[in-house]
Amino acid sequence: MGLMWCVLAAAFLPLFPLSWLFNRAVASLPVGAVQGGAALLLPQLGLALLHWAPAVQAWPRMEREGGMVVATVSALLYAVRALSARDLGIWTRLVLSSGLATIWLAWWAGTPISALRVMALGWSLPAGVALVLTGVLVRRAGGAYIGLQGGLVAVMPRMTTSLVIAVLALTATPVFSPFFALWKGLGSVPVAWLPFWLPLLFLWGWAAGRLFQDLLFGDYRGEPVTDIGRAGVVLIALVFVASVALSFAANGGLL
Amino acid sequence: MTLTLGDRLKVRAMVYVASEPIPRFWPMRTFIHHNPLYGLEGKSFPEAVAEGGRLFHARGYLERSQYQRYRREGKVDDEHLRRRIAGFLSSRADVPVGLDLEAWLWHMATAGEQSRTLKSGDWIDGARLAAALRGEVVAVPEGDIDPSLRTVLARHYSSESPVYRHVDALFGTTIGATLDDLLAKSCLDFFDEGQSAWQAPGREAGFYEAWKELARRNARFLLRGLHLRQVLAEEETAEGMIAYILRRLEVPEEAWQGYITHELTRMHGWAGFIRYRMSAQHYYWAQRYPADLVDFLAVRMVLGFALLQEGSRHHGTPASAAEVTSLLNSEPRQAYLRHALHGGTVLPAWAHEIDDALARGRPARIAHMATAYVVARTQWENERAAASLRALARGVGSRAEAALESLDSAHLDGLLTVLRDWEDTEGYMWLQAMESHYIDELVAKIHRPRSEERSDRRPFAQALFCIDVRSEPMRRHLEALGDYQTFGIAGFFGIPLGYLEFGKGSEAHLCPAMQTPKNLVLEIPAGLDLEEEPLYDALQHVLHELKASVLSPFVAVEAVGLLFSLGLVGRTLAPLGYHRWRARLRAGKPVTRLLLDKLSPEQADSIIRAVQRAMIVRALARELRIPRDTVTDDDVRNLREVALGREKGPSVLAQRLGMTDAAERDFLEKLRGVYRIDRAVTSLQMGRLGRIGFSIEEQMRYVTQALLSIGLDRNFSRFVLLIAHMSQSENNPYESALDCGACGGGKGLPNARALATMANKPEVRRRLRERGIVIPEDTWFLPAIHNTTTDEIELHDLDLLPARHLLYLERLRSGLNAASRRCAAERMPQLGTGSRLAADPLAAAAFAQRQAHDWSQVRPEWGLSRNIYAIVGRRSLTEGVNLDGRSFLQSYDYRLDPRGRLLENILTGPLVVGEWINLEHYFSVVDTESYGSGSKVYHNVAGRFAVMTGNQSDLRTGLPTQTVLKDGQPYHEPLRLIALVEAPLEFAQRTVGRIAKVQALINGGWVRLLVIDPEDGYRVHVLDDGAFTVHPRSARSMQAPSTNPVLEA
Repeated sequence: MGLMWCVLAAAFLPLFPLSWLFNRAVASLPVGAVQGGAALLLPQLGLALLHWAPAVQAWPRMEREGGMVVATVSALLYAVRALSARDLGIWTRLVLSSGLATIWLAWWAGTPISALRVMALGWSLPAGVALVLTGVLVRRAGGAYIGLQGGLVAVMPRMTTSLVIAVLALTATPVFSPFFALWKGLGSVPVAWLPFWLPLLFLWGWAAGRLFQDLLFGDYRGEPVTDIGRAGVVLIALVFVASVALSFAANGGLL
Repeated sequence: MTLTLGDRLKVRAMVYVASEPIPRFWPMRTFIHHNPLYGLEGKSFPEAVAEGGRLFHARGYLERSQYQRYRREGKVDDEHLRRRIAGFLSSRADVPVGLDLEAWLWHMATAGEQSRTLKSGDWIDGARLAAALRGEVVAVPEGDIDPSLRTVLARHYSSESPVYRHVDALFGTTIGATLDDLLAKSCLDFFDEGQSAWQAPGREAGFYEAWKELARRNARFLLRGLHLRQVLAEEETAEGMIAYILRRLEVPEEAWQGYITHELTRMHGWAGFIRYRMSAQHYYWAQRYPADLVDFLAVRMVLGFALLQEGSRHHGTPASAAEVTSLLNSEPRQAYLRHALHGGTVLPAWAHEIDDALARGRPARIAHMATAYVVARTQWENERAAASLRALARGVGSRAEAALESLDSAHLDGLLTVLRDWEDTEGYMWLQAMESHYIDELVAKIHRPRSEERSDRRPFAQALFCIDVRSEPMRRHLEALGDYQTFGIAGFFGIPLGYLEFGKGSEAHLCPAMQTPKNLVLEIPAGLDLEEEPLYDALQHVLHELKASVLSPFVAVEAVGLLFSLGLVGRTLAPLGYHRWRARLRAGKPVTRLLLDKLSPEQADSIIRAVQRAMIVRALARELRIPRDTVTDDDVRNLREVALGREKGPSVLAQRLGMTDAAERDFLEKLRGVYRIDRAVTSLQMGRLGRIGFSIEEQMRYVTQALLSIGLDRNFSRFVLLIAHMSQSENNPYESALDCGACGGGKGLPNARALATMANKPEVRRRLRERGIVIPEDTWFLPAIHNTTTDEIELHDLDLLPARHLLYLERLRSGLNAASRRCAAERMPQLGTGSRLAADPLAAAAFAQRQAHDWSQVRPEWGLSRNIYAIVGRRSLTEGVNLDGRSFLQSYDYRLDPRGRLLENILTGPLVVGEWINLEHYFSVVDTESYGSGSKVYHNVAGRFAVMTGNQSDLRTGLPTQTVLKDGQPYHEPLRLIALVEAPLEFAQRTVGRIAKVQALINGGWVRLLVIDPEDGYRVHVLDDGAFTVHPRSARSMQAPSTNPVLEA
């Protein structure tokens, strides 16, 4: 029965191989705000289902460690996949899947569900913003494909700034909430697992660097486009400020 | 594969032809401003710009929006632009009827928001466009689309383009970039001029041979999977290897020339540097480590071939031109989708699906997708073109929109052709319209001399400045301050000389880059002391050695690292104070004289003996620790004779000191090898000494020419200042770009000193008198140097000044100092310091000093930026006129030049230097990346002769953005040099007609020529479109174009 709850949760809080369902579900939705909303809601739904699963301590050690292995492999796998993704929407979903897999790791390590909710929000919020911005790009530039147009910073500086912040947050860069959430949530994971997270951070950073280089910088080669409005930027900034504040509040013990 | 001698020669000839358009790149120690399209100067300016665009992938004109900005600022002659539009349309037979195309083109140029209104497309034609304009579905090629795709692909994939470029474009690989990196690394290894602590081995054998030896064992290449050993074994020579690879790549032989051109121009910085080395006969590094473009091309082609082979093995990409052609012909749909996706032209919405389809590789899906994509692409391209045309028509007026809608497909085809052709030439039209504005401005500024008679009033001082634009403000301020008369002359003062500075090991050529000096001048300290080295200099030498060594930094960093921090803090926080403190520590340069007179054989021999004896004394001290006071002159003489093999050993000294035979033999070997006391070297030195100095006749000739060329043959004042110029900056690889262009990027002081020494010589003056140039006995020629960064003028050789002149020295100095401060006050605000300094000359001068010593300053001065005019004529035309430091001013009085010889010299020397400087700036602005060198911030010095962007790139030629842009906008307005010559029109035409090169430059539009004719009421004749017209503002009435044949000899 416990395993069933886990399987059900893994369809919403992505864990390989069921993360495929999560990604297909989000991809099938209209690009933009709807996908962003799904990125926010589905992981929380998964956590709600996980709430019904037996307490971690009740699981045999072998199964707990097996679960941690699957979570780690899942996180690494999606991080590697993000390196080769060229569509911004797909890239965002893959990094989100990778990040959310660490929540499983934390859960298996015994982190309480309440902390995991904040942790999931830490990834979902920037992913949601990135997906909304993907929608903006698709509508205005015809697509959001890495390496195609380049130089978006020159023609859409506000959109670019927002996207850079979202991507930095999504890849657990310090100051942003996923970074604190990661350390808080994984605080109870044995130190022996540390060598697996460091490549994870490296892969996320690499994927973000590639995205910036191929999508945002260089010479713009596309059609004329209009930038997002100031109000949009303010809204996005507020979302991030709120998430950072929430993160500080929820993870105060860490600081 | 056997190659004949003919094959090899053919390759050499092709490389030679391909290299012609590549501009030579001089080492940055002597930065030579040059026209990046020098090799294309045989063509007209617009043709060369277009060809340069094809070869170097560079822009030749500014973006349309920038010209529109200039127009809003009132810097464009609207009337001229309209005339150009009308001229363009009248020259065409395919103009569609029913449209006011003048209005269309005017609107497109002046209000178009994009750099090109009509984007290119593969599927646009009149019929489809008509459908798009009607809002209908655009028809696509019916039936099999493969033939259409093959036609489209053939346009993009020429057999003359390198195979790797096609593979990159079709498969998204990065072979081209990898190849550039590997080649840059190989070049850095070979061409290094002492920057690397460990040098590449075997460089004496030449670039290709040395590289080949290394490449066979290079682990880096092996790790990359490059199998070079087998390739290199196929052919011995570089040209043989090129022919071999071209055949292996299956490049059709008729395409070889184009293929080689593409390969050589891809990294034109390195190719230009190698081209320079090939032509510089006296370049030390080229003599020691020879290389040519055949070597360079062979290395590039071997690497490229190996990378293609590697790609083929690992990714299945094509490895030859035939395989690429086969893909294009047999699978045009796949190829088209690949071209769209990896070429970056794919519609963004399709990118993911196409990428996915190509990755999966199912032929049916690819074929289906290609068909669907062509439909979508055709619709999109035509709708986009229709929208652009509609927007354009709307801007022109409502009737234009209706007229557009009514055009049939044939007329729409015609309209597309006309608009596209206009957009191709629009930049040139803007350029001409801007030049027309600045010609008007110049004509309005210059004025007729008050009197044709030459004044007999003797000024307090006469000053000869370089023609450099930075001299103009200084001359203006000096003249405004008092009784000074100034002249403009090329900064080498007409004396091309090789100069061996005291303490330097190599000869500098102080003359325009296109000349090679025959005469050598040596600088000799008046108090020669070879044995002592000041403590601070010795310490600095040791530190430098420590830094340059491979191992010593590991141990030295803790020991002496702190010492460096003193400099770091000082230079950063208090650059001026730190500089003054350091200057006190450093030994000053000794008083020196120039060895200027021609040597007799006895004198030459005596000099060699003196130098060799000094070297022997030094060798004894260094090698054997024998101090000078224990050695007699006879000992030294005897040692020299033994070393030269004229006397038998053992030497007297060896006997006296009881040296063993082996020890003496060792020492003699060192004398011969290290200290060059060798018979062959001595003979060579005797030959070289023959170059030293000038005969009295030559000296008289140079002085005469210098004085007459500027119109100074009488009324000499007490002081005649010969003011050379230099710049001063810290941490600036481009420093020599700010020095004197007429001195080959060097400092012109030696030339000034040489001319002063010649002109002060009684024998020279006697001969001048015989030719009617009477220099009063109390006239003294005094060399000086103008520091263009600080605006200071420093007088030199004051120790030679006659005592009676000392009385006037204070007045001279105070006048020069005041002019310096006023000049700084004018110039500093232009560097973005705010207007406060304009009102405070003292503060401005202090700020200029700081600029010169601040090592973080990327723009110590503006240099020659904003240059636009070259005025060849009497100062009275421009005296008192503020030319904003934008004009080269060459003094010239046609009345002293009845045969036009002096004007010939001016046109072939200073004018061409001005043209190179002007066009270097022009192209560095219009394309800051391809012709310019990008931002200085990312530059790293490469091999001590150039800069690269980042740690590895092509050599960056041209000027950095900090020199030509301000706040991201052009500070230098890119215009061709507007040269105004004061002379009778017919006389000027005749003179120009005698010089083929200058004639080609002027007729080709590389320089805009204006002639102000003093014998025709000072009317200005403007050469435009091959004919002279009288400028309306200078004329008594409007004149028809002159009927004289233009510039024919």
